[in-house]
Amino acid sequence: MDMLTPLLAASVAAATPLMLAGIGELLAERAGVLNIGIEGMMLTGCIAGFSVAVITGSPWLGLLAAIGAAMLVGSVFAFLAINARTDQIVAGMAINLLAVGLSGTIWRILQNRGLTELPENAGFLRGWTGVDMLTTMPLFGPLLFNHYGLTAVTLLAAAIVWWILRRTRLGIVVTALGEAPDAVAAAGESVRRWRWFLVLVAAACAGAAGAYLSIMRTHAFVPLMTGGSGFVVLALVMFGRWRVWWMVSGCLLFGCADSLQQSLQSLPQARQIPYQVFHMLPYLVALTALALLSRSAPGPAALGRPWPVE
Amino acid sequence: MRELLSALAAGALAVVVLLGGLWLAGYPPISVLGTAWAGVAGSPTRLAIWLQEATPLLFTGLAACIAFRAGVLNIGLEGQYLLGAVAGVAVLTLGPSGWWMPWLAAMGGAGAGALWCAGPVLLERSRGVPLVLSAILLNVVAALCVGMLVQGPLHDPATSAPQSAVVPDASRLAALVVGTGLTVAGVVALLLAIAVWLVQRQTALGFEMTIVGLNPTAARLAGIPVARREISAALASGACAGLAGALQVAGVTFFLSSEVQSYGYAGIAVALLGRLHPLGIIPAALFFAGLDMGFRQLERRMDIPHDLGDVAKGLAVALVLVAGAWAARHAGKAARSTAGDA
Repeated sequence: MDMLTPLLAASVAAATPLMLAGIGELLAERAGVLNIGIEGMMLTGCIAGFSVAVITGSPWLGLLAAIGAAMLVGSVFAFLAINARTDQIVAGMAINLLAVGLSGTIWRILQNRGLTELPENAGFLRGWTGVDMLTTMPLFGPLLFNHYGLTAVTLLAAAIVWWILRRTRLGIVVTALGEAPDAVAAAGESVRRWRWFLVLVAAACAGAAGAYLSIMRTHAFVPLMTGGSGFVVLALVMFGRWRVWWMVSGCLLFGCADSLQQSLQSLPQARQIPYQVFHMLPYLVALTALALLSRSAPGPAALGRPWPVE
Repeated sequence: MRELLSALAAGALAVVVLLGGLWLAGYPPISVLGTAWAGVAGSPTRLAIWLQEATPLLFTGLAACIAFRAGVLNIGLEGQYLLGAVAGVAVLTLGPSGWWMPWLAAMGGAGAGALWCAGPVLLERSRGVPLVLSAILLNVVAALCVGMLVQGPLHDPATSAPQSAVVPDASRLAALVVGTGLTVAGVVALLLAIAVWLVQRQTALGFEMTIVGLNPTAARLAGIPVARREISAALASGACAGLAGALQVAGVTFFLSSEVQSYGYAGIAVALLGRLHPLGIIPAALFFAGLDMGFRQLERRMDIPHDLGDVAKGLAVALVLVAGAWAARHAGKAARSTAGDA
């Protein structure tokens, strides 16, 4: 029990940015847009959030800036993928390249001015409820309450998105955009406008996830700090078969594998094993899970296809 | 020809945008351009280094071109390159030495790259896991594998740093220009580009692969074995990336560390800028290598962050994508209006 609680708490913390970005990505993919640029959008969120937080001293402004900057990058992606009708994967790669260059440039400028670390009190505080009794409660405290508010918002957002997809007209429109965009057009809705909207939502989620990584988890920015987590999100959305709770469970599973490998690494028996083996674990788990499950659901029919098809 | 022109225009426009931005930040464009150009081509040695830097990009760009033309989005080039480098270093440092060793290493590298690509291909065929996803995950695994191997079986006992032993002099590719890493690998890359172009243009195999990429349904109806063509394109692309990794070790870096640079993602960008045309990839690779060198010089001399070079690359690729989409729409409209006239 003593071992398990911190492990599970660390899993929730590691899963939060994945879930947050995953919710947006899931919406975009359900609407037929495969957003490989999610990695770049997260990285944009990291640097924009960090630099604004470190300059203004306000983590809230940082979070807002992260969301705004990621949406700006997201609109470049939307223009390429939706208006110019370029291949979505190719457009996403271009976005990732741009984000690497821009974030590296901004990082170097910050570095030259000595702005490399957030002061401890300029970040968000853990224990989002502000009630000490909840935060220190055994089991539930570390699992649910001793986290940043964004974790709670993420779970709430997952519930809302689940409800929207399941119960509302908007949900039907989103699903139809991914399954039969022609039908959406025939019903008098604008496929392009809806997809633009959902890509921007996905970008906002990715930006907030990036801010979580830089402002909350590490209090710093490191070049390429997303290190492929955007790509992991893509795998997890597919692993979740484009359903919200499955995706969330997948993220928690991945977070769990990630924290498990970190605690395994510190075991004395693990000295003989190269640490890279442990780092690989979550990725191999994700790959195996995909291999075991992916046959069962093909995904949205129009996923990755530009519209209108000519 | 049109591909080449639009790529050139996109590259030029990206550079102009960046120069404009730097001008606003107080760096006069003329001196920026002059400094950057001196860094790229200021002396014969620098010119040779420019070609040296473009060589791996040309290889991985061709790898991307082979796969993408056949509709196989092989984003695993990053990992395939690394595995090629690993195989190359293993052959060169553990095997005997001799002038023929680099070529053995190249074959090993190509094999390793193809093998690393075969995994995702197999997963896609048998289990329906999209190649794009598995390949991206395996890129991370490949980078970790390199780190593990240079601390384990390939580790140089003479140092505690995580790096492999150094390739013995006799097993290296000779430099064509003294003091640079420009070797015969550059010539091989150039010949390979021409060969890929000829195969795509002149042979039934190349034609079939292109059709598979353009319209798999039509290809199937025409009796082309679509799955086989896709698999061979993927494996050829992986082999090409692995070859690049092995030759880079044999001719430029001579050892492997956990910090090794991969040219996989960059190769994809190069291929896109070259509009997936094997000959267009040559100037695209030179453009990317030139940006890298130019901006590194700017960082040294004028304190401009060299990461701006990456911004220019991303911008150029985005612009060429828009230009391509615009041209396609234009061509579509023209074709439709001609059809209407007839």
